[in-house]
Amino acid sequence: MTSMEAIIFAIVSLIAVVGALGLVFAKNPYHSALWMVFSFVGLAGLLALLEAYFLTVLQLIVYAGAIVVMIAFVMMTIDFRKVGGLSKFVPQWLWGLIISFGILIDLFILASKMKIDVSQSGKNLAIAGSNTKALGMELFTHYLFPFELVAIILLVALIGVVVLTKREIK
Amino acid sequence: MENYVPFLMVAFILFAIGAIGVLVRRNFFVVLMSLEIMINSAGLVFVILSYFSGTVSGQVFFIFVAAVAASETAVGLAIAVLMYRVRHTVDVTEFSMMKR
Repeated sequence: MTSMEAIIFAIVSLIAVVGALGLVFAKNPYHSALWMVFSFVGLAGLLALLEAYFLTVLQLIVYAGAIVVMIAFVMMTIDFRKVGGLSKFVPQWLWGLIISFGILIDLFILASKMKIDVSQSGKNLAIAGSNTKALGMELFTHYLFPFELVAIILLVALIGVVVLTKREIK
Repeated sequence: MENYVPFLMVAFILFAIGAIGVLVRRNFFVVLMSLEIMINSAGLVFVILSYFSGTVSGQVFFIFVAAVAASETAVGLAIAVLMYRVRHTVDVTEFSMMKR
């Protein structure tokens, strides 16, 4: 890693981690939604650093755009004055912290023990200089069936949401 | 770039922060957002290992993860709206109808 890449990596990972911390510890859920945008922009920076340019734009449009707007819209339909006196944490918050730190230590041990072959590092990610082209070739030659399955999952989720939120007409 | 451990560390830290949010917060919307962070960090691990092993397959899997996360968020928000209509709260500790 050159020094320039290291600096950019430090900045974007700091943005991602600080955004996630702000999401978890903000009192107001609307502030949480804004912190989530912050965190996702940092994650998009990490994806760009890994030369996944199509996914960078996907991250910004789908996550930092669509999903945040969806959550914020649904939150605006709910009267938060009724739930304003809600305290931030559940009574069992200490167990949650312990379990999360356990997961973190477990994953850190995994990361330090893991060995992968990095001889091909940074190669094969683009066809004729285009990451999107490589991704599309891979998606529609090797992963066509999972792609169709994902389409069915989206359809099922759409129908499920409509059925769940439909009011009974009397 | 040869060293993949810092990238993995960032992804795992994000996963742990998301886990804290899911397990600790009371507001169901914040729980959903923390879940989103967790799913996103899992997808980031796919992209990291895709870069360092030199195949583009991990990036394809990020697309699948993103699609499933979007449908999960939609269903979760529908459940939140439904629970608000039934119980008039978004407190996860009040969502205990199946225990009775």
